[in-house]
Amino acid sequence: MGEYLAWPWFWPAALAGGAALVALAALVLLAPVYKHIVCLKYLFGGWKAVVPIVSALPAALGVFLLILVFAIMDGFVMETREMTRGTLSDIIVDAHLGGLPYYDDFAERIERIEGVEATTPIIQTYVIARIKSSGGRLKPIVRPCVLIGIRPAEKAKMGRFVSYLESWRTITGDLEDEKEKMERFLEYLHRLYAVDATPEALQRLLDVPPELQNPGGPPRAGTIAGSAVVGVPMTDYLVETVQVGAGRRVLAWFLAAVMMVVALFVWRAQVHRPGRKGWVLATVLCALSAAALVAAAVFIPVRPGRVLRPEVVDYPILARGDDLVVSTIPVRASGALETDPGGIPKVSSRAFALVDTFKSNYWEADSTHVYADFAVAQQMTGMEGDESRGIPARASQIQVKISENAQADAIVGRIGEAWEAFQAERPDADLPTVSINTWETQQQMILTIAKVQRNITTLMLGLMFVGFAVLIALISYVMAYIKSRDVGILKAVGASDMGVGSLFLGYGFLIGLVGTALGMIGALLMLHYLDGIELWVNQALGVDVFPRTMYYFDHIPRHLSPWWCVGVGGAVLVLATLASMVGGLLAAIRQPVETLRYE
Amino acid sequence: MSSQETILRGEGLVKDYRMGPARLRVLHRVSLTVRRGEFLCILGPSGSGKSTLLHLLGLLDRPTEGRVFFEGEDAFARAKRWRDRMRNEAIGFVFQLYYLMPDLSVLENALLPAMIRTSLAAWPFTRSAERARALEVLGDMGLGHRVRHLPRELSGGERQRVAIARALVHRPRVLFADEPTGNLDSATGEDILRLLQRLNRETQLSIVMVTHDDRLARQADRVLHLKDGKLLQHA
Repeated sequence: MGEYLAWPWFWPAALAGGAALVALAALVLLAPVYKHIVCLKYLFGGWKAVVPIVSALPAALGVFLLILVFAIMDGFVMETREMTRGTLSDIIVDAHLGGLPYYDDFAERIERIEGVEATTPIIQTYVIARIKSSGGRLKPIVRPCVLIGIRPAEKAKMGRFVSYLESWRTITGDLEDEKEKMERFLEYLHRLYAVDATPEALQRLLDVPPELQNPGGPPRAGTIAGSAVVGVPMTDYLVETVQVGAGRRVLAWFLAAVMMVVALFVWRAQVHRPGRKGWVLATVLCALSAAALVAAAVFIPVRPGRVLRPEVVDYPILARGDDLVVSTIPVRASGALETDPGGIPKVSSRAFALVDTFKSNYWEADSTHVYADFAVAQQMTGMEGDESRGIPARASQIQVKISENAQADAIVGRIGEAWEAFQAERPDADLPTVSINTWETQQQMILTIAKVQRNITTLMLGLMFVGFAVLIALISYVMAYIKSRDVGILKAVGASDMGVGSLFLGYGFLIGLVGTALGMIGALLMLHYLDGIELWVNQALGVDVFPRTMYYFDHIPRHLSPWWCVGVGGAVLVLATLASMVGGLLAAIRQPVETLRYE
Repeated sequence: MSSQETILRGEGLVKDYRMGPARLRVLHRVSLTVRRGEFLCILGPSGSGKSTLLHLLGLLDRPTEGRVFFEGEDAFARAKRWRDRMRNEAIGFVFQLYYLMPDLSVLENALLPAMIRTSLAAWPFTRSAERARALEVLGDMGLGHRVRHLPRELSGGERQRVAIARALVHRPRVLFADEPTGNLDSATGEDILRLLQRLNRETQLSIVMVTHDDRLARQADRVLHLKDGKLLQHA
């Protein structure tokens, strides 16, 4: 809810929506009662009611598809956002490879800005990682990676770094509640490192336990590497929990709904054909079938079940304590490469001990990120500075965590102002050019692709509504034509032109309402049981709808926006009402004597 | 017995219809008055303009020339909304082909004028009174046992009685009847005519009936002959 409240147009939109609803309610309540009764009779009276119900189906299908597809596409966007966000922070002050001196001073200044919760300096540079499998089963693999120097306790506050750790997943796997997970993980750290305070425990995430150090060898610093850095992708069968039986239940509900509609029509036909036993029998049979299907839908068991699915996993080739050798060329504050006295670029190499792996499901992070302690990474990249020579230490970035309801863009502006003031106070410090961005701007490319895909799909599906509008326009025209005698009668008895015309608008509105309701119920049911339905389609039809071997998600992502549902429903209602103006106008301009004379 | 008070007056009524580029004049400066409580019959052969005249007097159609005064008001000088209201509250129509709403039951057809003038919000408060009135009128018409039926389930005479009930339920001051027995057998037609006479006699309802049938016309207080769109004589 907070994200909606933070949206600047929330209150104007809510007020406009409320006003529209009040106006609609007033229109309905103040309209003469004949419109409601005649309209409902047209919709549900006898066999001809098939026409509006059939015409509501395109609307239902459109609403169903738009909500379902948008929810899934938006789910992709949201999960991609969350994945990329989890490895970053809300705002990033980036000084690139050259680095930012006095980073702690500037971070302290950032923390004074309202809405900022925490900051941490980061070292980030490109490296070559040499991975040699334990036991020498595979030849060493050399990969281009990104070394990220962190202060673990501070980094833990930025995003979801901790929850991506393999140790986290192992320790908290059976828990649902995030708070409980964190408590259990901290207990584990307290035990592992024999510390009590939480920040200290988190700060030691990169420590190498003595049993993992090479006996007799020099002590090694620890590293946490992406699962795909220290692993090779392989297809494996993993156990997945899904709602078994959901597909059959939804199918039963669907058939029950169809049978209820059929039963309704047959019953109507039977009422108007008294004495015909065939119709009575047909009504009873339809009603019994509908009842049986409803019973089946209610009693088909839907329960969590475990299934095996092929998925891509990063098969680890390094074990905890194995060496991960990282090499890089330090860059000076001026941007020049560090060289030895002969002018040859100086390579800085270090063997780290793997203490943990992480998997965020964001491929780029999982396949390139290698985390090390901030001070160690600073030393490797030559950013540690030299106090004796007056050279300040540097950091590549400052990551900023903001409070939940804070406006990231506004804070970016405030940080920019703070940076200008910081520069002005240190005219001789030769401060670098920095870029200050939200994580979304930083990850614009990948997010834009997902959003563009979502928007194009939505637009294409939205075009269905043009067909629906044409259909409603035609149906309302035909209805007004067929019902021209009714129009004449109503006007003869005192109904106004506008009143009779608006009766057909109400007719279109109700068709839209029925379509919207059907489509929305269908889409919500489908989304609720999506995994079970997917499993059923997979097993019953042999169609792998969402191959886990292609996507980096272990389930079909979905994100249902209430605003989107309201928007789609409202658009269908407006469209249906506007389209039925064709029939409404015909009815309004028809003179009663024309229809009553020529009938 | 009619009073001397004029309830309805047509003055120089002309009605032209466009037939492609040509104009067809179906009424030629017709003037007439209807007194309160009078049973007036307009007699004429088919195509003489009787129905057109009835539609003009009943405010269903606008004259090309001339004026219609309803209870002293120049009806076509007033807003259309006023004419709609008059048709809903002060005028009743009975047509040769009954013109009942096929999707509404007998009771709902009889309630139609009330449903047109009442909003959905007010309906719960007035519904029972309106329903009681409709049932009373339908009972008077001998249709008390048919109120839930649809028009297609009724005989011609029953349908016409429903149409009369609908025309009377709001206690109109003038009833326009366009060949009300034209689609009925003679016995049923006579029943309907007797019903109209009784209503005229008992409620002082002004009735304007058009017909081509001399025998029916003789039952009226006054007969006007219409031929080729012109009034011939007063009887």
